[in-house]
Parts: sequence; structure tokens; C-alpha cells
Amino acid sequence: MLALDERLVTIDSGGESLHGVLHLPAEATGRALVFCHPFAEEKKCAHRTMVDAARACAEAGWAALRFDLRGCGDSPGSFGRFDLDDWRADLQAALDCAAGKAQAEAVGLLGLRLGATLAAQVAEEREDVACLALWEPVVDGAAYITHNLRRSMIKAMITRHEGGEESEGAAAQAHALGEGTVDFDGYQVPEALREQIAAVDLLAGPRTYAGRALIVNLTSRETVAEPLQKLADAYARGTAVAVRQEPVWQRIGIIDASPTITATIDWLTRAHD
Amino acid sequence: MADAELKQQIKEMIVERLFLDVDPAVIADDENLMESYEIDSVNLFEIVVGMEEQFGISFEDDDFTVDLFATVNSLAEFVDQKRG
Repeated sequence: MLALDERLVTIDSGGESLHGVLHLPAEATGRALVFCHPFAEEKKCAHRTMVDAARACAEAGWAALRFDLRGCGDSPGSFGRFDLDDWRADLQAALDCAAGKAQAEAVGLLGLRLGATLAAQVAEEREDVACLALWEPVVDGAAYITHNLRRSMIKAMITRHEGGEESEGAAAQAHALGEGTVDFDGYQVPEALREQIAAVDLLAGPRTYAGRALIVNLTSRETVAEPLQKLADAYARGTAVAVRQEPVWQRIGIIDASPTITATIDWLTRAHD
Repeated sequence: MADAELKQQIKEMIVERLFLDVDPAVIADDENLMESYEIDSVNLFEIVVGMEEQFGISFEDDDFTVDLFATVNSLAEFVDQKRG
């Protein structure tokens, strides 16, 4: 049985101590990845996948730092008090932390959904990001907001149909497009944050990150979805792959994410050996 | 009345997007999808996105009713209406 070297770490960012777990390889290789989790309910659904991915990375020789952004998971603060600027600062702090605690000379980023979007943005704010692995990044923030509101609508519809109790105002909130705080599956998202996310457009101009970038499309199809292929093409050294995989961020439960994890480890190995 | 080709396309889209292990052809036009395939809110969302992408239509807020998602027939009629 593989002995896992996993250590709790705290990351100082914005006056808060963020909760993190550092997965270390059996032998130090000078390589590390910082994971950036998705948003709200998607984070909860993808938790198991992110743990599995971190352990697989450590086994492949990459230290992996998972951590919770401010107001999320086990990190302090209330969800909804923070915004994308705060979370990008957290990611910056996590990169510095990983470099120090894992004694890594090369630190890359791996993100899922909105976490991948943050990773893509942070990679362009600094010179030392070794590589960038983006799993289903949110390319179009406005569409992402619309999809989340639709999910709420569909859930409210199902709840009404089944005769169960609907959370107060769930349907009305879901329909309150563009007005005030809305409910994303139990997470209160204030208007300012929603507008900030809606303004995200990763295809607006070329990406300036010059390192290797992998864009992973988790899909039932054999070809990469057009927006993700365009994103890969916008990077100087971007690659996009389609991986047959259910959306690991949509459903709580055990999902075998090994196709996505394996594709990513293979890419990391090819890119750095 | 929606044509058979459209209904077949809808069946294939559902099987593909929901990772169902069934032959699309075995889905009956009037079969209750939510009961037969245990379709939940996550699956319904996938169907909405799939229909918009594949058939070039847009859902409005008022379109979200359980009856719409009940059968392949109801989905096909919805696509026909949206296409005008």
C-alpha cells in the first residue's frame, strides 16, 4: 500500500489563514502544482476528484497543494463577502506557499471550472508559473451565470413537481435575472460578484501566458468543444484534449475521474521530461 | 407533428449527453423519460444545453415545465415550435 505524505498547511492571504493540504511525492522532484477549486456547489461535487488528482500527481512526482479560497470550504470568512480579486490574491499566495513548502523550482497551476479561469488569469500576472492545466475552464462568464440560474430554475421545477417543499423564494430568486443577490444551489451570490463573473471572457484577445497550457474538455464527444479549442489556440503553447468523462462538478457522489487525471498526468510527464 | 428524424436526433442527444448505456432507438417517442431513465435536475440541465447547442434554439424562463421534458414527443414539438 502506498504511504501518503499529506500535510495540513495554512496559507496567509489578505489577513486570513487559508486551509490547505499539501500532497508530497515520495522523493522531492522540485515540481509542484497548486490546485484551484471550482465555485460554490461545484466545489463540493468535485472534492473527491480533486483529492484523487492530487494524490495521482504526488505519485507521479509532483507535489500538489489543494487549498480553500477565502469564504470557501474550511477557510475563514463568509461566502459572498469576497470576489474574484480576493481569490486571485489567494491563488498568488498559494503559489508562493507551494514553492516554499514543497521546495519547488517549478510550480504550475491546475484548476477546474471557475477555478481554472482564476488560474488562467493568475498565470498572466506572474512570470514563474511552470505550466497550466485547465479543466473545463469557464470561458464565458455571462453564460456561466445563466447556466447556474437555470440549474436553480430546474431544481425548483422538479421540487414543485414532486410535491416537496420548495426553499423559500427559490424559483423567484432563480428568475431574478440581474437583480440583487441570487441563490446558486444554496450559495448566496451578491450582484457585484455576479457582475464580476459575468464580465469574464477568456477569448477576448490572445492569452499572454507563454508556458505550456492544457485545456481539458470533459465530454461525451470525441472532439473538443469549440470555445475550449479556441482557448487552447489563443495560447502560444496550448493544447486541448477531449476526455470521455461525466462532469465531475455537477453531481455529489463517487465519480471515477481517472480518464481526466490520467490525461493530465500524461501531459505533465511529456511536458517536463 | 415533429418528424421522425428530429425525434431520433433528440434520442441520440439524450443518450450521448447523459452517458446512457442504451441504444437510442429503444427509447419510445411517448416514453416517460424522467421515470424510465431516472432523469434528475442535473440530467435535465444537460438536455437543455444539448438542445440549445444542437438545434439552435433558446429556452426562455417560462419554458421550464416538467411536461416539456416528459417525452421525446414533447421535446420534438418544442423544437418545432421554437424553429417556427
